[in-house]
Amino acid sequence: MALSKRIIKETQRLAEDAVPGISAVPHDDNLRYFDVTIDGPSQSPYEGGVFKAELFLPDDYPMTPPKIRFLTRIYHPNIDRLGRICLDVLKSNWSPALQIRTILLSIQALLGAPNPDDPLANDVAQAWKQDEQAAIATAREWTEKHAKP
Amino acid sequence: MGAKVPRNFRLLEELEKGEKGLGAEACSYGLDNGDDLLMSDWNGTILGPPHSVHENRIYSLKIHCGEQYPDVPPEISFTSKINLPCVDQRNGKVDPSKLPCLVQWKREFTMETILIELRRYMALPQHKKLPQPAEGSTY
Repeated sequence: MALSKRIIKETQRLAEDAVPGISAVPHDDNLRYFDVTIDGPSQSPYEGGVFKAELFLPDDYPMTPPKIRFLTRIYHPNIDRLGRICLDVLKSNWSPALQIRTILLSIQALLGAPNPDDPLANDVAQAWKQDEQAAIATAREWTEKHAKP
Repeated sequence: MGAKVPRNFRLLEELEKGEKGLGAEACSYGLDNGDDLLMSDWNGTILGPPHSVHENRIYSLKIHCGEQYPDVPPEISFTSKINLPCVDQRNGKVDPSKLPCLVQWKREFTMETILIELRRYMALPQHKKLPQPAEGSTY
């Protein structure tokens, strides 16, 4: 299937005008499939970590949102054990006006602002609510263990 | 032809379908280890087809999806003992040259495709009366 102009443009811009702390590179054999890295935001327990993710643009993109999941283990109430992400703009609040770059920025922002009231990983969300400091310490340990290059 | 869904996203789709129980009633499948980011190892079950020696039996299987899945089919083996021409009696492995959907594998096929076909294979006139090992025995 021919790649839409929209995807070609987005891909070019991701390469030429990269967002600091974020990269997205398409696979040679599947230009809808991207290797992604997101740097943990500063002043978060993910600071200093580089988190790998994968992103796929389905057939009907941009009418439907990209699919994305983390490949690096991360301790976060809105990200589950398989790296799936609970974020409104990836689901009901998706709009074709959003782009790969805005989605990745939203995910980076989610790392800086966990939302334990809308959890995907229930055990993590509970830990977060019961003892936030301890949960943050665990998140920092996981960053150290799994996300350091 | 549509966009080529990469392995991991395809497996996530299958996982969600399996978790929600959207698939065929007589077969089920799920990840062996919910922490496995590679999603390689799966467990499946098949409820024995009616009007056969398998009726009311539940068969457990292991499914391994390699790096090339779904471009190549997964490896499948029964953990429950079963007497079928496509199953190696020494270890429960399903012989990929004996099950039509594995012989003519297509990228659109899923783990569910295979489980359903195995169930149909169990119910074939030439297979449905084969003597079976004791219920509950494993390889």
